Amino acid sequence: MKRTIPRILILTVIALALAGCYESASVTRHEPGVYKGEQDPLVNKLANDDGLREQLDQRFDGQRDR
Amino acid sequence: MARMKFLCDADRCIECNGCVTACKNVNEVPWGVNRRRVVTLNDGLPGEKSISVACMHCTDAPCAAVCPVDCFYTTDDGIVLHDKDLCIGCGYCFYACPFGAPQFPKTEAFGVRGKMDKCTFCAGGPDGDGSEEEFTKYGANRISEGKLPACAEMCATKALLAGDADMVADIYRERVMRRGGRPQTWGWSQAYGEG
Repeated sequence: MKRTIPRILILTVIALALAGCYESASVTRHEPGVYKGEQDPLVNKLANDDGLREQLDQRFDGQRDR
Repeated sequence: MARMKFLCDADRCIECNGCVTACKNVNEVPWGVNRRRVVTLNDGLPGEKSISVACMHCTDAPCAAVCPVDCFYTTDDGIVLHDKDLCIGCGYCFYACPFGAPQFPKTEAFGVRGKMDKCTFCAGGPDGDGSEEEFTKYGANRISEGKLPACAEMCATKALLAGDADMVADIYRERVMRRGGRPQTWGWSQAYGEG
């Protein structure tokens, strides 16, 4: 029992040290003029959701003077 | 397809800074970052004019043109947005922008630039619509809820208009016709005087 605890501690320290050295392999490689970020769901929503479009148009029109 | 734009009617703006407050409040913008500002010309003199300025969501955005990592994208409606995961905080966009829209929060010691932050037309960012992550990084996504940007919606005098460029232009044209005369917000007489 006396030896087990230090061993566990040493193993934990080694595991943490190795985890700290980890480097992500998924790197975004840049290409000029190409957007490589996440795709925004709003782009599709605005293009396909007619209800949303109508709602927005009503709001825009609501800015008129009464 | 709409082209989203802002227009500030300088004859109506009373420099109340309600738009600035609304933006800060809705998007929980951190200290030191101003996505929107009210600029006043000839402050304190007769005929002073104020105008509310933020990202104008340019059709051919110079910020996007100079970005070395291409973190900008434009929605079909012309809203210019960016991905903070790609942004490296270089500040090129700040030099390119004629409106001073890109902001850089000082998140670390020694004035190190953080990721660029700017007006999103209340359309959030590329993370899931209405998600916690999106709100933390980019602020509210009111467009996906069918609402106007908070600044325009809160404007007490309706000086700040937001929406489809055709509709905004139509509203402004109506006002100018009612006032009589030419619009004095922009144009020759505003820039060079009556002479």
